[in-house]
Amino acid sequence: MEYNKPLPHPNADNKPFWDACRLHELRFQKCRQCGLVRWPAAFICPDCHSDQSEWIAVSGRGKVYSFTVYHQVFHPGFEQDVPYVTASIELEEGPRLLSNVVNCPPGEVYCEMPVKVIWEDVTPEVSLPKFEQAG
Amino acid sequence: MIKDNYAIVGIGSTPQGKVNDRTTMSFYLEACRNAIQDAGLTKDDIDGLILYRQFPPIAGEEETASYDVAHLLGLSPTMLSQEANCARTHLYHAIAAIEAGLCKHVLVCYADNTRLSSRSASHVMKDGYVFGQFAVAGEYAMAAQRGMHEFGTGPETWAEIAVAQRQWAQLNPAAYMYGQPMTHEDYFNTRYITEPLRIADCCLLSDGGRAYVVTTAERAKDLPHPVVTVMGMGQHNPSTNINQSDWMTGPTGAKKAGSTALNMAGISLEDVDACQLYDCFTYTVEMTLQDLGFFEPGQCGDWIRETGIGPGGKMPINTSGGQLSEAYFMGLTPFTEAVLQLMGRAGTHQLGPETRTKVPEIILTTDNGAILQTNSCAILRRN
Repeated sequence: MEYNKPLPHPNADNKPFWDACRLHELRFQKCRQCGLVRWPAAFICPDCHSDQSEWIAVSGRGKVYSFTVYHQVFHPGFEQDVPYVTASIELEEGPRLLSNVVNCPPGEVYCEMPVKVIWEDVTPEVSLPKFEQAG
Repeated sequence: MIKDNYAIVGIGSTPQGKVNDRTTMSFYLEACRNAIQDAGLTKDDIDGLILYRQFPPIAGEEETASYDVAHLLGLSPTMLSQEANCARTHLYHAIAAIEAGLCKHVLVCYADNTRLSSRSASHVMKDGYVFGQFAVAGEYAMAAQRGMHEFGTGPETWAEIAVAQRQWAQLNPAAYMYGQPMTHEDYFNTRYITEPLRIADCCLLSDGGRAYVVTTAERAKDLPHPVVTVMGMGQHNPSTNINQSDWMTGPTGAKKAGSTALNMAGISLEDVDACQLYDCFTYTVEMTLQDLGFFEPGQCGDWIRETGIGPGGKMPINTSGGQLSEAYFMGLTPFTEAVLQLMGRAGTHQLGPETRTKVPEIILTTDNGAILQTNSCAILRRN
C-alpha cells in the first residue's frame, strides 16, 4: 500500500539529519565552541551563538519526556493508527526530538519511560526514527 | 509612566458563534466600526490600527491584511501593524505608541469566519506532521501530560475549570454554550481529542470579531463610558517550542508577566476581584493561575473547590464563559470581558449582587500565544 502520511521536507538546515536517518543513524549538530548538542537544526548555537558545528551520531537511547495519545484523526494517513502516541523523546545526549512511541499499547506509555530508536523505512528515500521501550 | 494613564474606551462585538454567509473581512469591519462608535469617537480619530494574526482566508476571500482592513474602514492611520503569529504584544504596542506621542487613539481587532473554513494543517509544513502531531490540542496535551507526571494534576482539576466556565455561559445569551449546561459527569463523558485532553478541555472555534479602542485616561474622561484604566501590564515570552520545552509545567510566561503587571499596579493578588484568563485549554487556565501565584503546584483543584470561580465564587474566572464556552477571539475574549465587567456593562452575567459576587474594581487579564510560548498580562481598574 502506498505511504499516505506527510513526509519530511528537508531544508538547508536539517538535511544532514534526514540524510543520516536514511542510513539509520541519528545525528545532531554539536557546537564546536560550547559542546551543546542541539535540535532543531539551526545556523547558530542558541547558547553561545557560534556558527561552527559538527553532525555527531548519538546513541539513540533516551526517555519519554512527555507524550500525547491522539484519538482524533486530523489527517487521513493516520486513520488506521488511532489511538497513537506522539512523544517528546529526551535523548541521552540532551536534545529532545518529537517522534512516536511504537510497539507498546498507548495506555502503557509513561513519562520517563526508557526508550531506544528503531527505524521505519517508509519510502525508498525516507526512513523515520521511532522509539520503543528499552529493556 | 503607564500606571492608570491609559484607558480602554470602547468595545466592538459582532454576531458570533456560528454565523453563516459572512466573510472574515465583514467581521473585522463590523467589530472595528462598533468599537469606534462605542468609544464615542469617529473614524478620523483613529490613528493606530493593530490586528491580531490572520489565518489564511477560505476559498474566494481575500486576505485581511491590515491595510485592506484600514482601506475598507476608511482609515489612513499613522501606525499600522499586524501580528504574523501569536506574540500577543498588541496592548504593549498600542500604549507604547501613545506614550511616545506617535498616536492618540489605537484600535485593536481580531476576526475570523473559522467555522466556515476547513483549514487543515496543509498550508505550512511542520516536521511534527510526519509523526502525526497535528493541532495545538496535541501540543498542549503533551504539556498537560507532563503536568500530571510532575505535580499530579489531571482531569479532576480540569473538570472544575470547564464546568465553572460553562456555568457562566448559562448566564450569557451570546455564549455558544448558552442553554447547554455541563455537569462534572458530563465532562468525563466527552470524548478524548488528544489524551489527556477531552473535547470539553478545548476552546471553541468561532465566527465573529472583537475590537477595542485605547487612548489616554485624560482623553477618556470626555468619552461616554466609565473610565477603565490599565493599572499594570507585563509580558514574558519563554519562546521555546513545546517539543523541546522546559516550560510545560511552569513557570510559563504568566509568572513574570503577572509579577511585572502586579508590580506596576502596586497591588497583590489579594486586591484582584476577578480574572479573565486566556483559556485555549483548561490546562492553560490552571498553569496561568498557578504561575500567577494563587496556589502551589498541584493545588488547583482544591483551590477552586475552596474559593469558587463560577457564579457565587470568591474569585470569578472567565465570566462570559470564556473561550471554552462563549467564543474564541484570541486574547480579546478575556480582555473585552474584563473591560465590560469594570464598566458595568456585562448584562445578565454582570459581577455583583445578581451573580452573588463582589462588584469588581480590579480585574486581571491574560493573553497567551503559541504553545505556552508567549504571555501578556494586563491589570485593569475602574476609576
